[in-house]
Amino acid sequence: MNMTIGLSDILLVSPMIALFLASLIPLTVKVLRGNREQNPIVTLTQGLLGIVIAIALLAVFGGAGKTAFNNGLIFDGVTQWISVIALLAAGASMIMMYENPATTGKQFSELIFLAMSSAVGMLILVAAVDLLMVFIGLEMMSLALYLMIAMSHEEKLSKEAALKYFVLGSFASAVFLYGVAFIFGSTGGTNILSFMENAAELVQTSRLFLFGIAFVILGFCFKVSIAPFHAWTPDVYQGSPTPHSAFMATAVKAVSFAAFLRIIATKSLVGSDHLFDILQWLAVITMIVGNTAAILQNNLKRMIAYSSVAHSGYLLIGVITAGVSENGAFGASGVIFYLLSYALMTLGAFAIAGMMEKSESHIVNIDDLAGFAKNRPMLALCMTVFLLSLAGIPPTLGFFGKFYMFNAAIGEGLLWLAIWGMISSVIGLYYYLRPIVVMYMKEGEAEIAPRSLNATTVAVVVMAVAIVLMGFVSGPLFTAVEKSLL
Amino acid sequence: MILSSIVFLPLLFALIVAVWPNAKTLRHLALGLSVIEFLLSLVVLQQFDSSSASLQMVEKFMWIERFGIQYFMGIDGISLWLVMLTTFLTPIIILASWTSISEKVKGFHVCMFILQTAMLGTFLAMDAVFFYVFWELALVPMYFMVGIWGGARRIYATVKLFIFTFAGSVMMLVAIIYMMYLTQEATGHMSANLLDFYKLKIPFVGGTFFSLQTLLFFAFSLAFAIKVPAFPVHTWLPDAHVEAPTPGSVILAGVMLKMGTYGFMRWVIPLFPEASEYWAWLFMLIGTVGIIYGALVAMVQPDVKKLVAYSSVSHMGYILVGLFAFNAYGMTGGLYQMLNHGISTGALFILIGMIYERTHSREISKYGGLAGVLPIFTIFFFIVTLSSIAVPMTNGFVGEFMILLGTFKAQPAFAYFAVTGVVLGAVYMLWMFKRVFFGPQGELVKDEHHPLHDLNAREIVVLVPMVIMVFWMGLFPNNFLNYSKASIDFLVNNKNNYNLTIATPGSAETTTTQAAQGGN
Repeated sequence: MNMTIGLSDILLVSPMIALFLASLIPLTVKVLRGNREQNPIVTLTQGLLGIVIAIALLAVFGGAGKTAFNNGLIFDGVTQWISVIALLAAGASMIMMYENPATTGKQFSELIFLAMSSAVGMLILVAAVDLLMVFIGLEMMSLALYLMIAMSHEEKLSKEAALKYFVLGSFASAVFLYGVAFIFGSTGGTNILSFMENAAELVQTSRLFLFGIAFVILGFCFKVSIAPFHAWTPDVYQGSPTPHSAFMATAVKAVSFAAFLRIIATKSLVGSDHLFDILQWLAVITMIVGNTAAILQNNLKRMIAYSSVAHSGYLLIGVITAGVSENGAFGASGVIFYLLSYALMTLGAFAIAGMMEKSESHIVNIDDLAGFAKNRPMLALCMTVFLLSLAGIPPTLGFFGKFYMFNAAIGEGLLWLAIWGMISSVIGLYYYLRPIVVMYMKEGEAEIAPRSLNATTVAVVVMAVAIVLMGFVSGPLFTAVEKSLL
Repeated sequence: MILSSIVFLPLLFALIVAVWPNAKTLRHLALGLSVIEFLLSLVVLQQFDSSSASLQMVEKFMWIERFGIQYFMGIDGISLWLVMLTTFLTPIIILASWTSISEKVKGFHVCMFILQTAMLGTFLAMDAVFFYVFWELALVPMYFMVGIWGGARRIYATVKLFIFTFAGSVMMLVAIIYMMYLTQEATGHMSANLLDFYKLKIPFVGGTFFSLQTLLFFAFSLAFAIKVPAFPVHTWLPDAHVEAPTPGSVILAGVMLKMGTYGFMRWVIPLFPEASEYWAWLFMLIGTVGIIYGALVAMVQPDVKKLVAYSSVSHMGYILVGLFAFNAYGMTGGLYQMLNHGISTGALFILIGMIYERTHSREISKYGGLAGVLPIFTIFFFIVTLSSIAVPMTNGFVGEFMILLGTFKAQPAFAYFAVTGVVLGAVYMLWMFKRVFFGPQGELVKDEHHPLHDLNAREIVVLVPMVIMVFWMGLFPNNFLNYSKASIDFLVNNKNNYNLTIATPGSAETTTTQAAQGGN
């Protein structure tokens, strides 16, 4: 194998390099100061600066469909969009970490370092077209996250969450790796681009390859919490500090779906009716399980966690659509657009849940929101926007996310999936309305925690305004996404 | 730009109200703004060319190009009066809520104006997705209105309202997307433009349940039937009405229910002509059952507001029957009855709100002999009651008469049953009137600690325009019907090939000739 690394390779991965270098700054400073924490706002600024630089580099060098490192990484539209979504989500989560009682304290520099390392892993995962690279990205992202969750002070729930996430995450990785081995065995390579052309044929002719693809997909089903492999999600999201939950629910989900899209783009679904059928049923089951289970929740974070399971179901519809269409760009852009809207609203909802936490062990239940509209009208309005958008009520961005993705599904003849999606949205509406009912229609003393929460407030308002305004220009935005994929 | 202005000005008003610093002048401001909106809609009425059946004052540009979704508004004889009804009722509602809404006044008026935008948009949008956005948006302020300012069981009622209507409309969204693909098949480019939808020839094979047209027909009809609300999906309505504050009830009965019947006229009947004709019996049956069922249930209600709520089910049943008679009488009657119901039921809810403010009870059995204590109130209530039971010379008579005439021409069997609704309507309204206003004074009326005061000047100002409309529409129906005649004739005559055109200045005549030709 002829392996040469040129300047173009380095330029393409420059966002990852920049992010990694920036992540080292807070740690270095801490070491040089004799293991004394610098002012956390400085740490945060250093981290955010790294993210801004990474986004700028992505904008300059990303796109255009170039590959780097001997076809190990690809830099196309999916990479660019999803990387930006993940980085923005990381930035927002870091702001939340700065202000959340469970994540501030003596080890803030380490936390920011881990969050950014995880983001580096995400960027690798998004860009990876070699299954081994996918694995490396996946593990780098996950390892940092296990540590982040476990690091939050002496909180029992989060230790349990970290362990659960670690065990199940490792299991998923193992399943994935097992699949990669099968694929290697049947094709003699692990590069997606190399077996992309004839995957549809291989799935039918080689049982080994079919197993391989099936296991790889199964691994992703774990990662993106597709039922019945979703059981870890509510526990981990609930047990982790809220900023981490927001990070996992948005950034991790976005990049995992991007990698999922790459596997699906091999058109192996077209070749195998079984895989196709199974995935369709999984989508339906996920939507129903997520939505019905969310109805029963009292804990706000747990409710959002189950709702995120349901959203994985909707997203799977888009992934399937991308997998079966001649030109996967329509379905794939549906997924990316949906991820964008989903990231904004879920981050917002988690941010508000986090703002209400008065201490590390404080659990926010939905009933605790009573009176929020009276005490914090602005934040309550933002929360309402997030919830209505999650429910898919026009003219919010969430509605257009669903509209475009279901549109793609119907265009590919997956009418029944779209109908199931709609039916589950109605079920979902029930629990999205509950916090609104409590905030506006019940008397109570709900308040945000008495800490300085200005940065998070700004982020929340920006996201809410974006959700409303981007609804009106969603058309050009969708076209931009689609064009970048063609 | 006139249509965009009347649709989006209220949204701007909502913003102005939201940032208005002075709480004392807030109501005056809101009232003033809503009157401006009404005056602006009079300009639309004045500019409207009643001789043309085409879409007028059209505003159109591409909104979401990828899917052929347009920002597309237009007005014709079908939507004209519903727009007028909305702008007419809003100032009245704001004035009527002057004392009954005492908490979170600002939020209330913000909701009111957002709701106005959503309703006007629903009536004027001519693009399926654009329409759907307004259609769903209308739910949100209504949800808050019932949920925040409503009665004791308001949360149950408001969640039920939201979920029922949302559940109805999601299938419509699937159908809309599906039809967008049908236009792509037919014309080569995707479109959600209603005029393109009208041109589709959707297969209808012998009325089998699974023909494409039937499925799409039911997907749309379910959404509209729930909004109407037609029997048996009406159950959200009595709950919502009883728990809603007076202004909420008025806007719900006055305008929002009409979004459903308007949907049948604008979307279902012209888009799915064969399916509509084939399944007309079903909807006439549903309408007739609604008429009788609503009336019978209204009769036994102990709560006067619930009585009026069930009477809505009955009245909306008439409209449904009229529309599915498919002749000019039935359609015109249906459209006219939409306006009548808006006026008379709206007035009834306002009156009930006024008496509720005084006594904090709506139980019929606690009243009695009100006529002696509140003479002015009694007179107003009596006039509105007459309108509600369709006594000649009032607006209700014209609408019901035309509906029944149309139904006799189309399906006499249903007309026989529908007519009993007229009698039943008189029975429950007059019986209620007797129990509340005559006879020995009830415990609430003779309560010496809380003597009842008759209507004050503000309340009279609220009611007078409604009463004027009752008689104006009853005595000179042609003043109103002339505006919608061309559109309704065009719909009836060209039902199977509803080729609605956009009016260009000076081409009004050609369109009407086309309409006449289509009828032959």
